[in-house]
Amino acid sequence: MILTVTLNPTLDKFYWVDRLPLSLERAQEEILIRARKSASSAGGKGINVSVFLACMGVETVAMGFLAGHTGQIVLRDLLARGATANFVWIEGETRTNVTIIEKGKEYHPVKVHEQGPPVPPRAVDVFLRKYRRMLKRADYVVLGGALPPGIPADFYGELVRLAGEQGVRAVVHAGGKALEVALDAGPYFIKPDVREVPQVAGLPAKSEQEIIRAGQHALEKGVEICLISHDVTGDLLITPDGLWDLQARVPLSEFKNLVGADDALVAGVLYRLVAGDHVLDAVRFGMAAAIASAEIEPKLCLSKPAIELEMKQVEVVRKEGG
Amino acid sequence: MKAREFMRRDLTSVERDATVGEVIYLMEQSGLSSLPVLDDEGVLVGVISEKDLIRAALPGYLEMLHSASFLPNLNQLSRRLKEMAGEPVSKYMHSDVISVHPDDEDLQIADTLIRHELKQVPVVDGEGHLVGVIRRIDLLYHLV
Repeated sequence: MILTVTLNPTLDKFYWVDRLPLSLERAQEEILIRARKSASSAGGKGINVSVFLACMGVETVAMGFLAGHTGQIVLRDLLARGATANFVWIEGETRTNVTIIEKGKEYHPVKVHEQGPPVPPRAVDVFLRKYRRMLKRADYVVLGGALPPGIPADFYGELVRLAGEQGVRAVVHAGGKALEVALDAGPYFIKPDVREVPQVAGLPAKSEQEIIRAGQHALEKGVEICLISHDVTGDLLITPDGLWDLQARVPLSEFKNLVGADDALVAGVLYRLVAGDHVLDAVRFGMAAAIASAEIEPKLCLSKPAIELEMKQVEVVRKEGG
Repeated sequence: MKAREFMRRDLTSVERDATVGEVIYLMEQSGLSSLPVLDDEGVLVGVISEKDLIRAALPGYLEMLHSASFLPNLNQLSRRLKEMAGEPVSKYMHSDVISVHPDDEDLQIADTLIRHELKQVPVVDGEGHLVGVIRRIDLLYHLV
């Protein structure tokens, strides 16, 4: 079973528009943007991973915190997609994240993210008890996304440590400080995106050399798979067996919706790892899942044949120095 | 069709040392009128419902509501619920839980719900772990 943790879930709301105003600063009383189309779905990195895995027939349980009416909508959507849910309910309202996608500029969306409700200490205790219990039935746990208000900064470290005690492989699908504090607890697989925070394991990660050095530093801390996104279409895979550059050979103009593509990547890798694939093959499938997801308007591509079709678009080059 | 194909895979539940106050809070937040109670291993050990709590707070109250055409004031119920709020749910839960298995057939589950007048029934695996819940409406929806 693959357990996923989304501490700050969202209702992802998408608006597709023909045109955005050129400048929001232009003096006008109001700006009306008419959406050509809209859609919403349960979201957050861990939840997206669970949705993907459930649709591929992998047993998965999604955990985290939900609140209010929006939390009910998120839960309902998640259950409808076949995932198992085990959330702690808190006061307030689960956040809504809005993405506005302009025709012709799909790779450059406008996003508005809410902060999410604060998590009280008692709810954290309840969560940790549930989490320890669910770890007993898990093979992997995916920790994904931002920490909500009220959650201590070192929380991912604690969750990775608890997973390690139970022999469960931890995947940290986050970057910045959340990843940095989790590294000492020895996660198995990390997937930072240096476009968001140009840093991995506390080291700068802007240039390719810096990214490689930071990834190798993560390996020294016990990480076995370090997959670093540095470009819309590019990732670097750093493992004890070597270093690979992965490129999606797809023009940006092909992309319809980039939200969730990196979650499809992580979910695709895990889907193939639990099936017994070698890491490199699993990552290739994950990249194909990310491309297939980015090429459609819905957040995730859940069609295995469509993903397999994209495998040929993934270019894998072994690099020196790995 | 088997339970696993139409059960609600929602593991919202409480542990047996959760307090009555926490149970009421969770019922209010989640919109559920009864909750499975689990032990430390995730094994189903009981069920607690709104009805159980009202009955425990004011024995005879529900029966009185059925037989009388008036509502007495709620002060006594409120006072008693506040007293119970810090007590463990294990004191008030039903331990003789009726549950079904993921491979049970829909007909068998319908029979269980009707025979025991249940609004919902927990689904447990071979080791007693909670894996889902089937509500009457899930069964009706599935049959339609």
